[in-house]
Amino acid sequence: MIYDSPGSHFIFIYHPSVFDGQSYTVFQGKRLTNGEVLAYWGKWIILGERPWIDALARALDPHVEARRIPCVKYDREPSKNLGVEECVMMVYCDRRERDAVWEILAANGARMKAWVTERETMELWRPGSPLLERWMDSRGFDETLREAVRADAKARLGRVFEYPDEEFSPWEQ
Amino acid sequence: MTITARVPGSLKAWLDGACEADCQGRTVGECLADLSRLHPRLQGRVLDEERGMPKVLVFLNGDNVMGMGGLDTPVNDGDEIALIPLAAGG
Repeated sequence: MIYDSPGSHFIFIYHPSVFDGQSYTVFQGKRLTNGEVLAYWGKWIILGERPWIDALARALDPHVEARRIPCVKYDREPSKNLGVEECVMMVYCDRRERDAVWEILAANGARMKAWVTERETMELWRPGSPLLERWMDSRGFDETLREAVRADAKARLGRVFEYPDEEFSPWEQ
Repeated sequence: MTITARVPGSLKAWLDGACEADCQGRTVGECLADLSRLHPRLQGRVLDEERGMPKVLVFLNGDNVMGMGGLDTPVNDGDEIALIPLAAGG
């Protein structure tokens, strides 16, 4: 189901079971651990104008309902503060299933193949990274808040790396 | 060998109004250099010449080249290179 909460920057497509507490970071029905997420989890990145992305979302929704795609997230509006002029859609799945997911995307008009692993995303947003600093600049955070954000990022990312056997818990967004 | 490079619509000015263009080279870096020669608006936008690092995310057949051999990753005829803004990756 498409979950569109106007207060959020993102629009999501989840299987309804997610609202009953089930995880979407799964492979063949089993919840992934932190270590498995670092090894296998990622997303196809799709960029486009909002009307096209909305139409793609409607086409993908039945595939999420059928559990062929675990989860989709996309921008309500472009993140121009980060230098991105189009909406970005992230189609999440396990690397071991990504070819099947790409076939669905390609059948619905996606052409540019860009797979980003969760590990790469964490590297992009690690404390001190240019992207995190730019995001905080765009929000006008003062130094106290910036330090708190860096500490939070360090704690969240650190847990994933330090406890590989723990079940992965996706972050609220 | 001929390689196809693709960019999202918002970056098509880099390829003189097209979202894809052919280029040639034996590695990703050579292909990007060839692409910059063919489309001068691309110059300075993709490669950080000082650090020898991409300024954008660069994918070869869907995979981020930084997890492969970087700009030295060899290419094969018919391969596809995609360029997306750094912040679009997460």
